[in-house]
Amino acid sequence: MTKEFQRFCAVDAVPANGKKAGRVNGTPVLVVNTKGKLFAVSAVCSHQEKFLTAGRVRNCRITCPLHGAQFNLETGEAMCLPATKPIATYEVRVVDDWIEVAV
Amino acid sequence: MSDQALEKGQARCPGEPSTQEIIARDRVKAPQWVTSESYQFMGDEDVSVDRYIDADYAQKEYDRLWSRTWQFACREEHIPEVGDYYVYDIGKHSFIVTRTAEDQVKAYYNACMHRGTKLRPSGTEGSATVFRCPFHGWTWNVDGTMKEVLCDWDFPHVNKSEFSLPEARVELLAGFVFINMDKDAPSLAEYFGPEAMSHIEQWGLEDRYIVAHVSKIIPANWKLTMEAFMEAYHVLETHPQVSVSNADANSQYDTYGDHVNRFISSLGVVSPHHRGRYSEQDVLDQFTVGDASVLEGADRTLKEGETARQRMADMMREMFSKAADTDLSKVSDAELLDCFSYTVFPNTFLFPGISLPMVYRFRPVADDHRKCYYEVFFMHPVPANGERPEPACEEHLTEHQSFCEAPSMNDGFGAILDQDTENLLLQQQGLEASAKPGITLGNYQEIRIRHFEQTVDKYVNS
Repeated sequence: MTKEFQRFCAVDAVPANGKKAGRVNGTPVLVVNTKGKLFAVSAVCSHQEKFLTAGRVRNCRITCPLHGAQFNLETGEAMCLPATKPIATYEVRVVDDWIEVAV
Repeated sequence: MSDQALEKGQARCPGEPSTQEIIARDRVKAPQWVTSESYQFMGDEDVSVDRYIDADYAQKEYDRLWSRTWQFACREEHIPEVGDYYVYDIGKHSFIVTRTAEDQVKAYYNACMHRGTKLRPSGTEGSATVFRCPFHGWTWNVDGTMKEVLCDWDFPHVNKSEFSLPEARVELLAGFVFINMDKDAPSLAEYFGPEAMSHIEQWGLEDRYIVAHVSKIIPANWKLTMEAFMEAYHVLETHPQVSVSNADANSQYDTYGDHVNRFISSLGVVSPHHRGRYSEQDVLDQFTVGDASVLEGADRTLKEGETARQRMADMMREMFSKAADTDLSKVSDAELLDCFSYTVFPNTFLFPGISLPMVYRFRPVADDHRKCYYEVFFMHPVPANGERPEPACEEHLTEHQSFCEAPSMNDGFGAILDQDTENLLLQQQGLEASAKPGITLGNYQEIRIRHFEQTVDKYVNS
């Protein structure tokens, strides 16, 4: 089944070095604006299901604020313990000043 | 021979200018920290090899050396905001280095006070609002005080006020965060001593940032690996491609107290080993930099009486000012051109020059005294607009990769680091195979190694 893009938020809501969490079809999604690019990933850590929303983003990685697991925003890959599984990544695009995500 | 009249350690490369004589001819004069000398003869006995090849010796180092020395844990720019943290490990020890206030950094032993789980994984950094154990959720505030124990009715014997995270000592200097496990250790200023402190304070390293960070496992003892970088004596044999224009045999070596030593190796002059075979014009023709394109179109013909060194200094000043968007008009020719290599005991090298602006850090691999973890940081001045870029993330190479494979490594410099480290497995194995119980050192050119090992002995034997 082809995933359909859906409006996530206005493009202004995620400025450079910003991020915003929300739900798409009930799935928690985090959109991150870093290094001049938008990324959309699962907002939930694969380690113990805590929210990544407050995590620090640096060098295209997000760090879980609670236990320190890190994920590559581009691929979702778990970069260190305590996580061993990736997080989901989603296609993201901008249409008419709206950020759209395909979940 | 006239040399026989000299006291031990007083001999210098015969018939060649000293480093100070080379620098004294420069147009933009060098500051006092460059123009001073501080060599002293420290004996000529062999240095025992057990320190490199014996696992028991490595354990003594953990017990008596690493536990009592100031170590570079991270840069302040790694942890700019309150709650930012960087995990620093040495052997089995692990610390969460975190900013607890704008001007305060703490280092916590990285282990839950309940059943010991590391609170943050080794080799990582990030930002925290609390430090929460992933096992049962015991939680500490960023300032180290205890916040929460799940089912605290079951722990009436846990007094929260006594369960703050234990701390190592922390001092900040020149943008570096230093930590020390020893509550009785001297202050960082006492540890470095007034002369070395005055050098460090003049460099302005707090105004640089990490533009690249490359690390690699080296198959040799950490001290052996460090010592590969402590002298210019190896340049002729190990780095033939750069030896022509490096004042190697006439480099300068200095020691300061127990914990700091240095060399100054001048560039842009003919090596004593190549004297008479290369001209000033040859030296200039060989001059290149990491990004050679920035030198395109430069006038490379020396005028009558002009030296390659002076032309190189002038070119470097212009080029680096533009490339780094920073003002270098008052920076001396020596600081622009020459290799200043300082060892900060036990495991850090600082290179305060402009053309070679590195920091090295060496750490033993836990449980293997024959391997170490070598990190190279390249430090650039913060741009003139004052906006500090994020520090580069680590590019980690495996034991058998070339330094040139790191994306941020310049090929020419990577090749030099490969040459520096390719001999180390052979040296490690050779020391283990040797019939000779000690290594033999030159009195002057290898004084940094003797100085370093004498300080190792002081810690390990007391």
